[in-house]
Amino acid sequence: MKSVLRSIVPAVIAGMAASVAAHAASDDNGKAAKGYLKGSFETNTTWYHDDARTNASVPEERWGSNNYMKLDYYRGKFSAGMQVEAYEPALVGYPSELEKIGLTNLYVGWKDENFGITAGSFYDQFGSGLLFRTWEDRALGLNNALFGARFTYNYNDIVSFKALWGMPRFGMEYSDTQVKGADISFALSNLAGWNDVYLAIEGSALDRYEHPSIDLEESGALPNNFGWSGRLNLETSGFFFKGEYVDAGNKYYNNPFIQTSSDPAYLGKKGNAQLIEAGYNGHGLGLNVTARRLEWMDSKIMTGNTSTSNMLNYVPAMCTQYTYLLTTLHPYTSRTGDLSGRFVNSGEIGGQVDVFYNFRRGTVLGGKRGTRLHANFSTYYTLAEEGTAKAGNMLYRDLSVDLEKQWTKEFKMTLLYSMQEYNPSYGANKSTYLSNIVVADLLYKFTSKFSTRLELQYLATHEDQKDWMAALLEINFAPYWSIYGSDMINHGDTGTHYYNIGVSYARSRTRFSLAYGRYKAGYICSGGVCRAIPAYTGANFTITTSF
Amino acid sequence: MKRILIVLTFGLMSVAAMAQIPSVNIEDHKGDAFNTSSLLEEKTPMIISFWSTICKPCIRELDAINDVLPDWLDEADFRVVAVSTDDSRFTTKARSLAEGHGWYDFINLYDTNQEFMRAMSVSVTPQVFVVDGDGKIVYSHTGYVPGNEEELIEVIKNLK
Repeated sequence: MKSVLRSIVPAVIAGMAASVAAHAASDDNGKAAKGYLKGSFETNTTWYHDDARTNASVPEERWGSNNYMKLDYYRGKFSAGMQVEAYEPALVGYPSELEKIGLTNLYVGWKDENFGITAGSFYDQFGSGLLFRTWEDRALGLNNALFGARFTYNYNDIVSFKALWGMPRFGMEYSDTQVKGADISFALSNLAGWNDVYLAIEGSALDRYEHPSIDLEESGALPNNFGWSGRLNLETSGFFFKGEYVDAGNKYYNNPFIQTSSDPAYLGKKGNAQLIEAGYNGHGLGLNVTARRLEWMDSKIMTGNTSTSNMLNYVPAMCTQYTYLLTTLHPYTSRTGDLSGRFVNSGEIGGQVDVFYNFRRGTVLGGKRGTRLHANFSTYYTLAEEGTAKAGNMLYRDLSVDLEKQWTKEFKMTLLYSMQEYNPSYGANKSTYLSNIVVADLLYKFTSKFSTRLELQYLATHEDQKDWMAALLEINFAPYWSIYGSDMINHGDTGTHYYNIGVSYARSRTRFSLAYGRYKAGYICSGGVCRAIPAYTGANFTITTSF
Repeated sequence: MKRILIVLTFGLMSVAAMAQIPSVNIEDHKGDAFNTSSLLEEKTPMIISFWSTICKPCIRELDAINDVLPDWLDEADFRVVAVSTDDSRFTTKARSLAEGHGWYDFINLYDTNQEFMRAMSVSVTPQVFVVDGDGKIVYSHTGYVPGNEEELIEVIKNLK
């Protein structure tokens, strides 16, 4: 679908130029505000080398380099922008459809207090994104921006409406799939003039068009698939409740039961999801509970394509996303329906509870400088029977507590305990792996400019690769420099060291970083979505800058 | 095509003025729509910090600002705007975290599809800005190490 971009781009650029010229003219009358330009550049480049110890992945060129340049221009109600991406070639583990250089995103927009219109590439989502979401996540190599048009309208903080049409981006091009949708939100409380209550009802509709392949057609798929969602948002005096029901229409999964040539290549399934979030925020207490059920919720841009960036909705893992080395070895990814071999699991059901509490200064537990507590419990199961809410095999469970305490002006301590249990067969059978992880994160400020941070971590388990330990030391010279070194050792089994050293320099809006290390095969997760990465060893250089 | 892009880029740069705050619809602490241009209605300087629940340095920076805020407010009149870039998955968690960290004196905003973040050309967090009373960005910094926050109050005190 590159031809679409090729034919539309000159028109969009002409439109941008004409609009800028028109606004420049109005500026001469002294009415419109002066325009301004914003932009950013990012390079993420790695040199790879062989490492027999981990069987490290080394691409043919020994290099990988992901580069992004983004420019946006704003002038009063008008805006325009573009993004150029270059993969020379893409870093190891990124989706293979990201290649070479290309003008990937381009848009013009106009927006006043009530109306807005965008033409070109744009990102949007309906509700929580379970029905539809387009977004960019460079850590995942994901950018499924729509190329088309969007219209938005707001009426007095009571009604928000948007309608959109476009083709989702896949890799460096825009796909042939077409998406049409509309979303509306009524803030009933604003209409009634309630001050202490916020109440809104919301709804979305989405139509996805994909020209079916012969296999899809023979499996009963129609070109158009319709989905919808209904939502309720309520907030009063710190209490909140959010509910969302999604009917995602028909999904087509590869048929694992084919025995004769007359069997369909795909099996059609009805996608649906239910999400409830409720809680209370106030008096230093933040409490929230999430419950979610998913069934056949895998929405693809192109049916049958298995790339991790082939997605049109957002079904993240709803549990704690960790950042400490040993807590991220086995991240959870939500199950949106599995059909493989004889294993059928139509989705997942589960939830989480989060508690944040601030022990104020001057109280017994708060001490002189206050204490912060956070605890999370998450648990997810397969669906025992299709079309029900019966829990089957456990997929993931995590109980974690972390405590943050500023002891003195100089010394701050964070302690984390996490008990994680995951199912290595993704629910195909009952057996799970359990690990207990403890982390101490100690920050000491020697002067207002010089500080050090030490992380000590231990993972204990009887299963898989047994015990791990890790340490990280970071030395900071504010405001510009930071250096660190870390090592993670699987002393329970392989004895392999995963070492890493790095330095970063940040000045104004530019940051340089250089790191060298050995990385374990595993997952890169961002926003609750993960992609698998192979083991690699090498040096990485990044620059991010913006203006 | 490349030539068109180059001409367009330099054409736009030549008419560009000092960067300001783009108008984008995001959410306030209740989940109600919030237009970022309304931040400019009150003509006082602002610290705008982009953070997320999984960005530890971001939270450290906002905690550090929160700890010294009463002293800073004795020295200058300004606001602190904490923009969570968490998507829908963690928006409720971000609200609870803001409460549990005692960020009561911040203006807490939620940019659930990263529209404000993109409009401000933020590609990595933490990213902090100081905006003067006229809405002009006068200082910005990417990344956080303890002690960086001292620069913010110095910049604000030097504003006219």
